[in-house]
Amino acid sequence: MSSDSSGCAGEHCITCGDVAVPMCVLEIDADGTLAICQADSGERETVDVTLVAPVRPADRVLVHAGTAITAQQAVW
Amino acid sequence: MRFVDEYRDAELGQALAGEILAAVDPGRHYKVMEVCGGHTHSIYKYGVDDLLPANVELVHGPGCPVCVIPMGRVDDGIAIAHDERVILTCFGDMLRVPGSHQTLLEAKAGGADVRMVYSPLDALRIARENPEREVVFFAIGFETTAPSTALTLQRAKREGIRNFSCVCNHVTIVPPLRALLESPDLRLDGFLGPGHVCTVVGARPLRFIPADYGRPVVISGFEPLDILQSILMILRQLSAGRCEVENQYKRVVPDEGNLRALEVMAEVFELRPHFEWRGLGFISQSALRLSDAYADFDAEQRFSTPGVRVADPKACQCGEVLKGVIKPWECKVFGTGCTPEHAIGTCMVSPEGACAAYYNFGRYARQKEAV
Repeated sequence: MSSDSSGCAGEHCITCGDVAVPMCVLEIDADGTLAICQADSGERETVDVTLVAPVRPADRVLVHAGTAITAQQAVW
Repeated sequence: MRFVDEYRDAELGQALAGEILAAVDPGRHYKVMEVCGGHTHSIYKYGVDDLLPANVELVHGPGCPVCVIPMGRVDDGIAIAHDERVILTCFGDMLRVPGSHQTLLEAKAGGADVRMVYSPLDALRIARENPEREVVFFAIGFETTAPSTALTLQRAKREGIRNFSCVCNHVTIVPPLRALLESPDLRLDGFLGPGHVCTVVGARPLRFIPADYGRPVVISGFEPLDILQSILMILRQLSAGRCEVENQYKRVVPDEGNLRALEVMAEVFELRPHFEWRGLGFISQSALRLSDAYADFDAEQRFSTPGVRVADPKACQCGEVLKGVIKPWECKVFGTGCTPEHAIGTCMVSPEGACAAYYNFGRYARQKEAV
């Protein structure tokens, strides 16, 4: 899901809409602000996790436009 | 898929539809506005409106950031893109938004270096990889997207990246809602609140709607069951004579929002005195510009732009659609002169736009009805 293979070409632009994607944290960089995250579809992306830090591998975050805006909890 | 399938269960959907039917007063017509383009998309995609009684009408609001970009701002972006030093980066849907003469995609076809990115971070990476070029990010979006731009600008400043700048078109959700509520030609009974905007800003900014205008608000998730449950919560408020902000999307939206995101935005942005919204006109303090501390990254200061207001095409009725005054199919050019492939109005460009969402999904149900 990097620049030139953006999901925007599909039926739903997850950046332009007020839409966020649940992703799983795989690896975190040394200063703890960037993480490699994986969507349930398998696609990986570098995500800014500053707003939800600290995160750990296996944490789930909600990602919008390359930024994690919240950690996700399964409550309904 | 975890966190998704649970919210698309057909049996639960039917059960909620039954509860909605039981909650409505048959003698009353209800108009509920979904503020967010993401909701509009889900409603048409999953046929949520087909599950509602005939007297519960969903009105599509102004919450698609692409749909509210005026032509003059697109022209500004295109002017910057035509500077041969520049790589202009933007989100995918922005490429197809018509300016007065062309779209960014057409500017790209004409030789301008315009690149689609998935995030501002991607734009910053392009700047790092092309130190001899000026990389400009054409930023759009509500409070959901603004923190991402702000964090990227902070990162650029920290790393001393000088060839990166931003055309800031970020907008805020409260002023247009207030403008809609003040509009004399619109009567609404309640609002589905924008779930991911509220993840950032929290529930508090929406409290003016029940307090000042006496309308209930339910902050809603984006899956079909989220939307059905939120509609039910609005109807129950109305039938009980209650009027407040409720949060259906508690699994994601904390009542106080994301305080760190708000701090980052407060450092990087400040409110513009006024900003033009497509179809809604100029609205005071409804958009963000870069703060003085980030003026070096402001593309509007770094490059000359026309900065001219351009009137919408006469045939286009996006304004009435955005205000919920007419339905997409009631627009004179819907599906004929204006289609997703050849959009005249912005509501037909983004899949979150009411016209495109209806064109892609809803029209089939309507055609079936007509037969």
